Amino acid sequence: MSTGFLHQSSTITRRDLLRERRSGEVLWVTLPFGAIALLLVPLAIGTDAPTLQRIGPGMFWVIVMLFGVLIAIRQTNSETTAQRDLVALTGLDPAAIYVGKAFASFLLLLVFEVVLGAVTIALYDVSPSGWLVLPFVLVLAAAGLSLLGTLAAGIVATGQSATALVPLLVAPLSVPLLLGATQALEAIRLGRSSLSWVLLMTIVVLLLAVAGVLSARPLQETA
Amino acid sequence: MSAPSTLVDLEKVSVRAGAVRILEDVSLVVSPGDAVGIFGSNGAGKTTLLRLIATLQPYSDGVCSILGVDSSTAARYDVRHQIGYVGHTPGLYRELTLLENLAFVADARGLDSALAAEALGDVGLAGAADRRVDHCSHGMQRRAEFARILMTEPQLLLLDEPHSALDANAVDLVDALVHRTLERGGAAVLVSHDRARVKTLSTRTHEIKDGMLR
Amino acid sequence: MTTTQHETTVWPWIVMAAAGLLTFVASMSVSPDVVQGQLSRIMYVHVPAAWLAYLAFGVTMVASGMYLWKKDLKWDRRALASAEIGVVFTGLAIALGMVWAKPTWGVWWTWDSRLTLTAIMFFVYLGYLALRRTTDALDVRAKRAAILGVVAAVQIPLVHFSVVWWRGLHQAPSLIRPEPPEMDTAILLTLLLAVAAFTAMYVAMMFKRIELARLDDRVLVAEQTSSGPVAGEAVTAPDIARGS
Repeated sequence: MSTGFLHQSSTITRRDLLRERRSGEVLWVTLPFGAIALLLVPLAIGTDAPTLQRIGPGMFWVIVMLFGVLIAIRQTNSETTAQRDLVALTGLDPAAIYVGKAFASFLLLLVFEVVLGAVTIALYDVSPSGWLVLPFVLVLAAAGLSLLGTLAAGIVATGQSATALVPLLVAPLSVPLLLGATQALEAIRLGRSSLSWVLLMTIVVLLLAVAGVLSARPLQETA
Repeated sequence: MSAPSTLVDLEKVSVRAGAVRILEDVSLVVSPGDAVGIFGSNGAGKTTLLRLIATLQPYSDGVCSILGVDSSTAARYDVRHQIGYVGHTPGLYRELTLLENLAFVADARGLDSALAAEALGDVGLAGAADRRVDHCSHGMQRRAEFARILMTEPQLLLLDEPHSALDANAVDLVDALVHRTLERGGAAVLVSHDRARVKTLSTRTHEIKDGMLR
Repeated sequence: MTTTQHETTVWPWIVMAAAGLLTFVASMSVSPDVVQGQLSRIMYVHVPAAWLAYLAFGVTMVASGMYLWKKDLKWDRRALASAEIGVVFTGLAIALGMVWAKPTWGVWWTWDSRLTLTAIMFFVYLGYLALRRTTDALDVRAKRAAILGVVAAVQIPLVHFSVVWWRGLHQAPSLIRPEPPEMDTAILLTLLLAVAAFTAMYVAMMFKRIELARLDDRVLVAEQTSSGPVAGEAVTAPDIARGS
């Protein structure tokens, strides 16, 4: 009995979220790791309050991009050949698998961003501006990073040095997201419009979604 | 669409990994009601052949038709759900319970989730349904994979070393799975070192050596 | 493993509730600080929480050392229970400190040595808990955790004496110090009462958590030993094989 695209994607999302709930990798490892990184930076560069307030937002986005990719790739990287075979033979559309994985990562990344955001506000004494735009920026950043990470993990799959290679692929490609996020909020802080930056992020997210869906089938065969 | 007259039709199929030939000019026809046993030493290409039939392995030469479709085309996605493949290594998620693993497959296939618990009961794992896979022995994991086969009722059953890690009770389980598949009008291909056991189960056998099927 | 109902001990819950209530009543009974006002009442939870963190991580160190010496898993369970409680109360101390700091210092956080080292200690013990999740092999888990549990305890004196060795915004130790405490008698007594209440709460929490850890280990052992050739109750003869 075949099932619709949405049902197939949600099956994968539920599987990934359940696996995360059991392993606790994001909650117990990646999230504290990101928080520690935010803690360590001032110890290295100095704890001058005005400096920290200035760099705080930027540090937050860098940590989100660099550590967030670990969230996006965690499941794909740990998948065995046997598990991939099993999923392939369920008859699920590879595009639905891609969307399902990316959506699970998106949800976890949102939590990651919110918690680290609170840590940044506390440690760097940052007063976030643009509360109307901020949720959009957080959502777009999480969406872009999850789509990009899932796509990159699918490209690298079980290749050699996959764990190190995927972040290497993702980091430079995440620059438009990083720029969009930081500049959108900076624009608001300076009293300017952030629309162009939000649009940039939206376009990046859409392009990644299309690229991921179109390459899902060819990538499944090369794994 | 009518059922195909042959379920597997390989015509001079070769699989290469770089310069290394894993399978060479393999021809094999499997029809409904066939139970084909394939023997060979380690590294002979048995698992590659089985994955090729499962449409999971790309090939470089020849023609490969599985369940009536050319497996090199996108049509293979339409028939994959009719293939039941149990590899040498279990494909279960270690953090999930046996029941959750089967429920995932049931959900993906649009089947009633109650079938998952029923299937685990049928293979003698009712008492371990809520046990995490990483707390289960290899034999239990293998039984759970057979439960998956029971639940999904594939037309083409592919088993790689099916009798390994099973106790005496569960060994009969493999025979039952094969018979049920044949009764449904399907076929089975078994790859094994256990010649005696597989010969009693098979309608015919082949030997694979250095990538060539005899 | 038997199937009899496990009886739940009730007294720890009573002690925890009583300790919480006592702390609340005591802290609300004493007059507020002249300068800080009602905000000063946070101290009656923040200070005991910090004390509890020291105590808990100290017990983790001792229990870890005992495990490495005796190789008895009961010490590992005690170390785990104490570390978990310590992490919770360290987090509570940090959070309450931040709530107090914002109106008082104007910032949620300052890079004071006490605060920074406390935050680092929090993450180290979070790492201890994460380390324990990496394997279900009881002895392997216990040994790895015990080594970290002993090593990590070096932070306790560092955190406590940081305000003495490095000048910062956080005030110097009020109770655990060579000289007698310099505070109003009523405040001192209330603080000591709160510390005593929290200590009782710790003991009660330890009891429950160790009880839970013991049950967890029993389940793990039962699962790991029932999957061999003698399968136990979990694995039976397949139904369909009998019928075919």
